[in-house]
Amino acid sequence: MTERVGFSVARVGTIAANTFTESLRQKVFNILLIFALVVIASASFFAEFAFEEDVAVVASYQLKSIKDTCFGALSVIGMLIAIVGTAMLLPNELENRTIYTILSKPVRRLEFLLGKYLGTVLLTFVSVVLMSVMFLAVLTFKEARLSQPAKAVVEQTESPVEKQKAQEQVAKIRAEAFDPAIVKGILLVFVKLCLLAAITLLVSTFSTSMVFNVAVALLVFFAGHLVGLAKEAWQAQPLLVYLLGIIPNLDLFNVADDIILGNFVPWAHVGKVTGYGLVYLSGVLAAAHFIFSNREI
Amino acid sequence: MRTPRSLAVVLIAVPAWLLTPLHNQIEHERQQFQYGGAPVTRELRDQIGQGMAIALLAGFRGVAADFIWIRAHDHWEKREWLLQAESIENAAKLQPRSTFFWDSGSWHMGWNIARAERIGTNDITIAQGLIRERYWHQRARSFLERGIANIPNRFDLYFKLGWLYDQKLARGCGGDPECVKLQNTKAAELFIRASEYPTAPTYVARDAARSLEKAGDLPAAYDFWVNKIWRDDRRIRTAADRTIVEREIRRLEERLDIPAPSRVFPKTSAS
Amino acid sequence: MDAIRTENLTKKYNLGWRKGRFLALEKLNLRIPEGEVYGLLGPNGSGKSTTLKCILDLITPTEGAAWIFGVPATKVESRLHVGFLPENPYFYRYLTGGETLEFYGQLCGIRGAALHRRIEELIELVGLAKARDRRLAGYSKGMLQRIGLAQALIHDPRLLLLDEPTAGVDPIGSRDIRDLILRLKQMGKTVLLSSHLLAQVQDVCDRIGVLNLGQMILEGDVDQLISDQRRLSFTVEGLPAGGRGQIEQAAQAAGAKVVGVEHPQTTLETLFLDAVRQDKRGAGEHD
Repeated sequence: MTERVGFSVARVGTIAANTFTESLRQKVFNILLIFALVVIASASFFAEFAFEEDVAVVASYQLKSIKDTCFGALSVIGMLIAIVGTAMLLPNELENRTIYTILSKPVRRLEFLLGKYLGTVLLTFVSVVLMSVMFLAVLTFKEARLSQPAKAVVEQTESPVEKQKAQEQVAKIRAEAFDPAIVKGILLVFVKLCLLAAITLLVSTFSTSMVFNVAVALLVFFAGHLVGLAKEAWQAQPLLVYLLGIIPNLDLFNVADDIILGNFVPWAHVGKVTGYGLVYLSGVLAAAHFIFSNREI
Repeated sequence: MRTPRSLAVVLIAVPAWLLTPLHNQIEHERQQFQYGGAPVTRELRDQIGQGMAIALLAGFRGVAADFIWIRAHDHWEKREWLLQAESIENAAKLQPRSTFFWDSGSWHMGWNIARAERIGTNDITIAQGLIRERYWHQRARSFLERGIANIPNRFDLYFKLGWLYDQKLARGCGGDPECVKLQNTKAAELFIRASEYPTAPTYVARDAARSLEKAGDLPAAYDFWVNKIWRDDRRIRTAADRTIVEREIRRLEERLDIPAPSRVFPKTSAS
Repeated sequence: MDAIRTENLTKKYNLGWRKGRFLALEKLNLRIPEGEVYGLLGPNGSGKSTTLKCILDLITPTEGAAWIFGVPATKVESRLHVGFLPENPYFYRYLTGGETLEFYGQLCGIRGAALHRRIEELIELVGLAKARDRRLAGYSKGMLQRIGLAQALIHDPRLLLLDEPTAGVDPIGSRDIRDLILRLKQMGKTVLLSSHLLAQVQDVCDRIGVLNLGQMILEGDVDQLISDQRRLSFTVEGLPAGGRGQIEQAAQAAGAKVVGVEHPQTTLETLFLDAVRQDKRGAGEHD
């Protein structure tokens, strides 16, 4: 009699785009992002000191600490953006009554939930990209600065031995500054942020308070980093270890540390960790959908 | 439009079922690749302080290690050698796969602290100074050996340990020829080991040949120069490499008095 | 076909452990034929919003069911031809009026030139042309209510559900909204509106129902319900002195009794509206 209303990707997209615009126009995110960019930019000045004599060793340490700081900022600010951005979605919708106007149109609840989620994922993605660009800029600046003395030696020295050594140093600094493996680290940070956003969304499907959502998500964040440790400590109690499996092991996503140290991280490993994140995330979203579709609004 | 309970259970249970093997496999790979570092034990937490421990637990291992390294510098400036060494140890413990902490840390112990302990204060005798210096040489050696155990797949730490034998341990023999021979042989072994890694710079192999010579085995040194360096393309990458190696081979051919036909560089009429 | 039909619609809320349940709505049977303007009246907490939410499947009734144009409310399809204006809406504060309508239009599958034409029409209809490119954070209560009506109308629905459409709006805005409802009625739309301001629904509704404590206690045609069939009143202009006595006598002669004579009063609302309209500075787009 009436036409069928199927699941519509276009509607999900509309809601995601709207969520993204709305979040982008809020001051909170601009402030967080500016803060992140400042931290990343100033990372190049943190590590100015060093008293090792070899230019390449000095560079190695300074680049390491810059990368550590930048990844730290990326991870923390990204986490705040993902968690806070998601935590306020449903409470705001309820407060502004917009959820009523949307769900009273031919829109499925799953479309609404996915749209909201993808909106923050997009916001997180844009933030991560912006921070990464800044990160690259800092590395470019620092690379030029650190290889300056070695380049000067290359130009001025008469001795071929000295010249060769300096050239090797320049090449080493360059290779360390622009290690393409960094992309793998950034990718896994992003997957981790998507997972945290999904968990926050799940929490907000049964709570009404944004503060509660943020608090629980932060708790999961810390628990997620502790869970590996806890499993080791409680090895004797298999039941406990099994229950701990419910908490996502966020340590798995921290390969950035190892990439910075120059350890080889194969794409296959990155793929598995991404897979772990995506499977976990889909389970969380399924649970969120289940609760949300039965929720009284 | 309510979701049936059974469907929900399936949607949640299937990912959970998929996850366990995947999780275990990732964990296994992490152990295999030696990702991460020392677990945060109570002892480690007491040593690095509460703040660093929290950073560590939140997944900021690298940042925590960097801060502890900065702390090591503070101790250096205050001449607190043992505390400096402890900070170095902790930084390396947090990121045992970082060549920098082992490399630079051993340099602090074996070179800087050792020297400062020997000549830094006026209230000890020369003998006491030497004993203290040797303590730090040995400490640097054991530190580097642990580093090698953690990073056996790179040339850096073999080379550094070889350098420690060459520069410090052999020179600390006080003229005992047996000791000198022994230490330089160790150095040569380590340099040779380091030179086998494709990433090792060309000077590593040259240092191996020089250590063989210092250990007193001139024929072995000559053989190494000719067969392992001169005839190996990986060792002669630039004009500078060629110049240095040629000079060393000519010198040894003179010294060992190699007969003209066997020489790599037969005597020219000019010389 | 009925635009809305409910059968034994009942909603009980759990109050928490050992506190029992609160009965918000009890066995409501509602039938609203297509083309009618129906007013759901009642004090705060009488179950008006609960009824609307059940019809829109925002909450699940404890018992009973609802249908929109014959389609069960639990199906997404039932909402194809419904526009809803919730009570005190705020919308997305960082979007402009135009963007808001664009968003809701896209949700309903309207795109491109058709959507822009529709937005133009609605902006004109609700009188927000000047505020179109301003963000909603700067809108007044009345303007929000207008943009709310516009979003409810974006897909040209056959049925409109308006929850307290005039609450918190000044008399002019309130008048405008009532005029708009009458125009919608002329266009053949069905309207279900809820209100606790009785006077305001009187001139627009065909039929009203009164809810109290979750139960329908009165329902019927507005004209019948409010007209006093036993009495009649005259309003006379230019009556000479002594004329009043003659009229009273005539009434007595006909066997009737004059129970009250008074100077007709204008309502405060009419007074206010006239005063504001005469103010030459214009208040067409007030906020």
